[in-house]
Amino acid sequence: MNAIEVKDLRKEFKAYSSRTGLKGAFRDLLTRNYKIVPAVNDISFSVKQGEMVGYIGENGAGKSTTIKMLTGILTPTSGKIVVNGMNPHKEREKFVRTIGVVFGQRSQLWWDIAVQESFRLLKKVYKVSDAHYNDHMDHVIKTLDIEPLLDKPVRKLSLGQRMRCELAAALIHNPPLLFLDEPTIGLDVLVKLKIREFLKEINEKYNTTILLTTHDLSDIEALCERVIMLDEGKIIYDGALKSLKDQWGDRKELQFQFLENVNIEGLNQLTAEMSVKWEMDEKEQLFTAVIEDIDELISQVISKVVAAYKIKDVKINETSTEEIIRNIYEKGLV
Amino acid sequence: MLYYLSMFFQYISQYMKTRFQYRANLFVEFFSDLMSQAVNFIFILIVFGHTSLLHGWNRDEIIFIYGFFLVPFAVFSSFFNIWDFNERYIVKGELDRILTRPIHSLFQIVLERMELESLLGGLTGLVVMFYSGSRLGLEIKWYDPILFLVFVIGGALVYGGVFVLIACISFWADARTDIMPMMYNISNYGRYPVDIYNSVIRFVLTWILPFAFVGVYPAAYFLGKKEWSSYVFLTPFMGILFFTISIFVWNQGVKRYRGAGN
Repeated sequence: MNAIEVKDLRKEFKAYSSRTGLKGAFRDLLTRNYKIVPAVNDISFSVKQGEMVGYIGENGAGKSTTIKMLTGILTPTSGKIVVNGMNPHKEREKFVRTIGVVFGQRSQLWWDIAVQESFRLLKKVYKVSDAHYNDHMDHVIKTLDIEPLLDKPVRKLSLGQRMRCELAAALIHNPPLLFLDEPTIGLDVLVKLKIREFLKEINEKYNTTILLTTHDLSDIEALCERVIMLDEGKIIYDGALKSLKDQWGDRKELQFQFLENVNIEGLNQLTAEMSVKWEMDEKEQLFTAVIEDIDELISQVISKVVAAYKIKDVKINETSTEEIIRNIYEKGLV
Repeated sequence: MLYYLSMFFQYISQYMKTRFQYRANLFVEFFSDLMSQAVNFIFILIVFGHTSLLHGWNRDEIIFIYGFFLVPFAVFSSFFNIWDFNERYIVKGELDRILTRPIHSLFQIVLERMELESLLGGLTGLVVMFYSGSRLGLEIKWYDPILFLVFVIGGALVYGGVFVLIACISFWADARTDIMPMMYNISNYGRYPVDIYNSVIRFVLTWILPFAFVGVYPAAYFLGKKEWSSYVFLTPFMGILFFTISIFVWNQGVKRYRGAGN
């Protein structure tokens, strides 16, 4: 059975626009202009149990709206959603027992009480038995290293500490499906790594399905084999992260720093017969050649440059996922 | 049902713990609450000291109605602390969090926002009632405490229902509404005998915004005003009716919740 099944899902919002001037304000009182804007535009996809899926897109692409529909917070305008075999907004109270949710920018914990009190209350809310709780949460608390934080009130925790507690709180009832909306936003590298490791571990241990949205693509690279990419409410890519890279990451960047003064025209002339695009960073005197990923070509370019100028440093970079995605958004797929 | 009851006590115990964390604060608050209630009591006596007879009601009867009103109002304000519902839950999007938990959303908000200190106001109400009741020479029959409880719950439900309905406006209107303070003023009219108003206001206070059921109607029973008895026993039904309607509208409203952007 699929953990998530979405068909022709659509969510429209009414966007009011106000007219200009005082006269316009009066007219707005009587009849308001509005447009119907589809935030999510007839999308379909399914996620198998145990998959880790990255859900990416620019701000306003409809990521959060989709997640909110999948978690039963918002009611879809049209389309079909089946998550864990249920219709999220119709059977909300029964449904939310089977999911865990972490919104990076919103706390799930009670601000004034100690973390363990929040856990205790959530344990009752989700009707988790003592045996289950001890067995499961001991492990979670140990892995996330939040033992020393348990008796502190949430408001005294740092962002990283709070986030780890949020994650633990979302897992109290050991849900088979976990939604993470930007779980690593604003966190330092160490905490990020810890959270990633932990997510991998519970995915392996309990076969937990994880749907993750993030702006930090390194999260997705570290965790997800599959990505769903969204633009203006439509899915523009759904598939393996690897094939996205194979398809788009077919270029390399050669970075040069020179010991002498070099101008970009000179470099262009030097490699005129090859298809090389030179870019220059004025401030640091960095010259970057963007070329196709062909071994022969790379060594040719390097040898030509080295023969002509004295160099200080050379670097060969693969195009990063971030760049691939930027390219897709700028130029469109296909 | 049992689950909801146990959740209720879980949240109350949690609430207590939070309050006890700030020990100094707790005492200061308790003390100032007590003071303000005492001031309230004296204030009532002074204000009503100037009225002698109002449309067939004497001073002590009016004080008694006011005292009765304070009790359901206290219950209401401890559990329906939803004045800032629009601001806190809709604009800031706190409702997102509520909706990802397996308890009815309105019940969760009631539990989260309760202010048990407000129950102290009920104590003032009782003192006022005993004070004026003894001056009127009212007798307490064995079933009176039971009826009192029923009327208090009925009145609190009327109040709760009306204010939940107002909070529901936020689901449909996207701008913030300042209707709450106005409502609060209207609700004050229920503290006084409704036959002093003209018939339109009376009708409104009985059937549209039935605040009369929070004060004057049930209090009339204890004052032995027989001509009101048909209204008196409507109190619990009006409470249940209004509260049921409000839950129904709430459930419809939640479906229209749009969430707040991140």
